[in-house]
Amino acid sequence: MAARADAVPAAGAQLTEGGATAAHVVLDRVGKTFRRAGRRTVALAGVSLEVAPGELVCLLGPSGCGKSTLLRIVAGALECDEGSVTVGGRPVTGPAPDRGMLFQSPMLFPWLTTRKNILFGPRAQRAAGRDERDDPELDAEAGAILATVGLAQFSDAFPHELSGGMRHRAAFARAMVTRPSVLLMDEPFGALDAITRIRMHDFLLSMWERYLITIIFVTHDIEEAVLLGDRVAVMGGRPPGISEVIEVPLRRPRHAIDVDTEQFLAVKRRIRASLTG
Amino acid sequence: MSGWYPPPGATAVIEDAAPAGPGAADHDTFDDRADLLAHRRARRRARTMRVTTGAAGLVALLLLWQAAAMILNDQVALPSVVQTGQQFLHYLDRPYPAQGRPLWFDLYISLRRILTGFVIGVIIGVAAGAAMSASRVIRHLIDPIIEVIRPLPPLAFIPLFIVWLGIGELPKEVLIVIGVIPVMAVTTVAALDEVPEDLRLCARTLGASRAYTLLHVQIRSALPGILTGMRISMAGAWSSIVAVELLAATSGLGFVIMQAGDYLDTALVFAGIITIAIAGLALDAGLRGLLLLADPSRRG
Repeated sequence: MAARADAVPAAGAQLTEGGATAAHVVLDRVGKTFRRAGRRTVALAGVSLEVAPGELVCLLGPSGCGKSTLLRIVAGALECDEGSVTVGGRPVTGPAPDRGMLFQSPMLFPWLTTRKNILFGPRAQRAAGRDERDDPELDAEAGAILATVGLAQFSDAFPHELSGGMRHRAAFARAMVTRPSVLLMDEPFGALDAITRIRMHDFLLSMWERYLITIIFVTHDIEEAVLLGDRVAVMGGRPPGISEVIEVPLRRPRHAIDVDTEQFLAVKRRIRASLTG
Repeated sequence: MSGWYPPPGATAVIEDAAPAGPGAADHDTFDDRADLLAHRRARRRARTMRVTTGAAGLVALLLLWQAAAMILNDQVALPSVVQTGQQFLHYLDRPYPAQGRPLWFDLYISLRRILTGFVIGVIIGVAAGAAMSASRVIRHLIDPIIEVIRPLPPLAFIPLFIVWLGIGELPKEVLIVIGVIPVMAVTTVAALDEVPEDLRLCARTLGASRAYTLLHVQIRSALPGILTGMRISMAGAWSSIVAVELLAATSGLGFVIMQAGDYLDTALVFAGIITIAIAGLALDAGLRGLLLLADPSRRG
């Protein structure tokens, strides 16, 4: 935790325990306007945000506030019309494996077993000549990460044979195996039942502490944002943007069970006031 | 690589999820490996049961047929199962007097026409579907053409093809192609449209190139839908080919059936029909097998 607190934003990128880099993400006056059938819709205007290496920042806001659009701009799936986005000092030009993405649906490939899903990234990169490891090396890596996410026994199961939580853990493993420097999560647990959600929160917190990766987490759930985030960027307004960035002064490590302490509720009230005020 | 993952011997941080419980929305789930294997065994058992029941239904139909034929006792109106079987085996490798070729040869002729037309039709149909899915202009260009052709029975084209292409193999193959293309184009477009945009983005963020994503994600993801389209158009191809052979051919299973009917050899008519049924089932079983390979969630 100390390492994260000491993270220097200006450093650009910081080395984590495993030699991968946790990226410094800088959004500078980002704007996005959609033009459809002659109508212009301003989706984002003047959004600036710095995310320190290894920091977990939640983008919180109602539907249509542009939080998913913002995440997709960082992912490189959408281009912004104004401003700039840099990850680890490099401008974003398109989707790339240094920015892993997780969605509300786990988006596993239904025709591949868990192991082969996890190896999709390394194999695709090997096809492009960017990964020179051979099959036994990749298998060993897949085995290791399967054990880390608790799916060692399900390496040969197909996605339709996994529970909702398992699918999300498999998707997490698949994203992490390509060693991204930032993980972009788009309401990843929004469709899970309440109990599985609590488990996934604990899972994500423990994984984040293990990998010390930068995470940008989109949600419309205040409690989720407070539980997970170092800071919460509250989004909304016309034109949509970040209205306020609120520090979450809660101690780490956090656990999903600690959501009704007085301190927690105080932060929650503060954010609710910001959202509705 | 070392250090990125927990050191060897470290235990998993997260235990496997507890059982979802009966009535949970996600019923198709397991909390440990034994359950997964038990579930797979149960699905295999269910499949064996289904196949056995289906076979029993077919046997019952044959028994009913045999009983009806024995009661009716008129070989021209309704030959028995045994007589049909005998006729089938007899002419399988002996030339039929009115035609000079054995049954297997006519089967081969019909299969060759179907497969030639089917393969060409599938290639053109899938290519058209892929182009329509990729480009809005091409979609708007081709869509009305397909919508006009699709409801037409391919048989309506037979006289036209005979005038244009004669009575050789070509008009029959073209007829199959014409029947297969619209079905394949429509099912391919639907299958490609159904691939979620985020699945593509997901592959790209995992480091896959555009080409790799197109082949290994978009087309791969559409494959079950395309194979289903192939099963549908294969069934259509059989009815087209038999009909055209009844009308305008001097070989093929449809021609044999027509000839046998003219000579009141009802047992051979049935033998021809059964040959079509077996060949059709075999081709469909092949496509079904590919479908199960392509889509693991359909297995069991």
